[in-house]
Amino acid sequence: MKPASLTGNRLTPLARQRLWLAPLVWLALLLLLAAGMGQLEWLFRLVEPDMREVIYRRAGFFSLLGQHILVVGAASLLAVVLGVGAAIAVTRPAGRDFLPLVSQLASIGQTFPPVAVLALAVPALGFGTLPIIVALLLYGLLPIVRNTLAGIASIDLDVHEAARGMGMTAGQVLRQVELPLAAPVILAGIRTSVTINIATAALGATVGASNLGDPIISGIVNGNTAYILQGALLIGLLAIAVDSVFERLIPGNPG
Amino acid sequence: MGEGRQRTNWVLLSLMLSAVAAWLTLDAVSVAPNRIVPGSAYTAREVMDGWPALLLALPMLAVAVLAWQPTRKGLRLALVAVVALLTLLPLWLSAATAVLVESDMPRARVGIGSALWLLLFLLLLALIELRTRLGLSRPMGWLLLVPMGAGWWLALTLWLEPLALLREYQARSDQFITALAMHLVLVGAAVGASLVLASLLALAMRRHAGIRRAGFGVLNFLQTIPSLALFGLLLAPLAWLGSRIDWLSAIGVSGIGWAPAFLALLGYSLLPMVRNIHVALEEVDPAVVESARGMGMNRSQVFLQVRLPLALPVVLEGIRITTVQAIGLTAVAALIGAGGLGTFIFQGLGQAAMDMVLLGALPIIGLALMADALFGSLSERLRPGGAA
Repeated sequence: MKPASLTGNRLTPLARQRLWLAPLVWLALLLLLAAGMGQLEWLFRLVEPDMREVIYRRAGFFSLLGQHILVVGAASLLAVVLGVGAAIAVTRPAGRDFLPLVSQLASIGQTFPPVAVLALAVPALGFGTLPIIVALLLYGLLPIVRNTLAGIASIDLDVHEAARGMGMTAGQVLRQVELPLAAPVILAGIRTSVTINIATAALGATVGASNLGDPIISGIVNGNTAYILQGALLIGLLAIAVDSVFERLIPGNPG
Repeated sequence: MGEGRQRTNWVLLSLMLSAVAAWLTLDAVSVAPNRIVPGSAYTAREVMDGWPALLLALPMLAVAVLAWQPTRKGLRLALVAVVALLTLLPLWLSAATAVLVESDMPRARVGIGSALWLLLFLLLLALIELRTRLGLSRPMGWLLLVPMGAGWWLALTLWLEPLALLREYQARSDQFITALAMHLVLVGAAVGASLVLASLLALAMRRHAGIRRAGFGVLNFLQTIPSLALFGLLLAPLAWLGSRIDWLSAIGVSGIGWAPAFLALLGYSLLPMVRNIHVALEEVDPAVVESARGMGMNRSQVFLQVRLPLALPVVLEGIRITTVQAIGLTAVAALIGAGGLGTFIFQGLGQAAMDMVLLGALPIIGLALMADALFGSLSERLRPGGAA
């Protein structure tokens, strides 16, 4: 599945299109399953022969999927903007004082289990979708900040000097040298962040959000394995599909 | 760092000014007559006419002033002030509890308000900042937390009986111990088993490139699957196995409980463990191995006396990552009936009993931080040439 991505941008346009095949297949599978879950009733009937209802019907799978993507997307987008922004700010001369604290905070914070962060968001913010977005945002910031800092720090000082020597302004160095060179590491951080967010958002079903975690929780509560399988399959496919997109985006991805 | 006067430490200054603002404006403490009735909240200024609150605000302002033109001596003084503040917070809470809880309220519950949480957070950040600026070592940093720990311990054992968190603990202390033990057993079993399995896998990977590619492929794939989904997917086959095969059900294998939790934890633990062991074995300098062979060591001697000691810090790093991850994932496993501290989180969320949520979440965070510190410093200490 992976070897092609190692050669990066030396590929012909045709081969490059093939790289997008895996994400497209996963996405198609995800959408097909969300749309056709009802057709698979016979299959789930095998799992739970005695249950009255074997297809989760409290909400459509498409709307659950949409909710899930919306929550993760909103939190991740904000986390990228704030995380990359904060990391850039503390690596500029004006904000450099904050660098040691921010980088230590980012690594200590990642020790906190995401479930615990989600659980603490509820007493602070109440039940519902908003606390989940805030919890995901806060937690999702950490890998992004950490990787952006690492990516910028890994750039050779000589490269910096050369860029300044060519007469680039500080802003140009940032946009044309630092960010492009740090991009793979930053993207890897965003990937970690999104993966964690998809998993943690599913737990949001326990604090009153309706998303793909819902069928699982409801299945556990009612002892209906079929519900659990439906939720688990869709979340698993969503995570794999999103991850395979990142896999293609990151050049020379080291697995 | 340097001697004499330095530039203004904006980090410390802004931390302290926000601390003063949060402390004097937000709710610091709440009192409810019992578990059900919502309580009334008080700011720090409303407790005991506000003078203790103002007294505590003074050292914060003093640190802010010291941060304006910091000298090394000034920063040391600031460190003392921050440690003192952290120690005084539980004592302030005890005093506030004594004043606010009247003797005719035997079931009264005292809650910790946002001002106190925020102040705690900001002061800890200030402590980290000061530790970095003064170049203090990691163990020294932990030592600085001892007075605060002592303060909380004293307050909790002597004066803070009405604290809601403590009441919640006392109501189910047996359950808490069982849950804590279950949590530790699951984490320990998963990390231990993954260490053994991952070592075997990593050794096999060194021999065959095919196993390496396939192994990392499968483990990467597994790591991507959200925990709740993996628990769910394991549930059906394990329930089936448990109902068909007698000896499996006799040892407790079923769709819910420890079996799916353990398997999922093991699956998640393998990737970081295999990756680190693999890197540890690969990264040993070939020249070192070469010279060991030259000295007449045989294969197993090279492995035991050269490769293993050099690899150990990296392996410990893998154990650190795996343990921290497993502590968090075990909390999720409570949803499928595996027990552990997550039980309190999800029960608390179900009953909208926030102190019960805290009773689960705070120890989990504590465990994760402790595991991180323990294995982190062990790995640092064992690194060749790098004592802590």
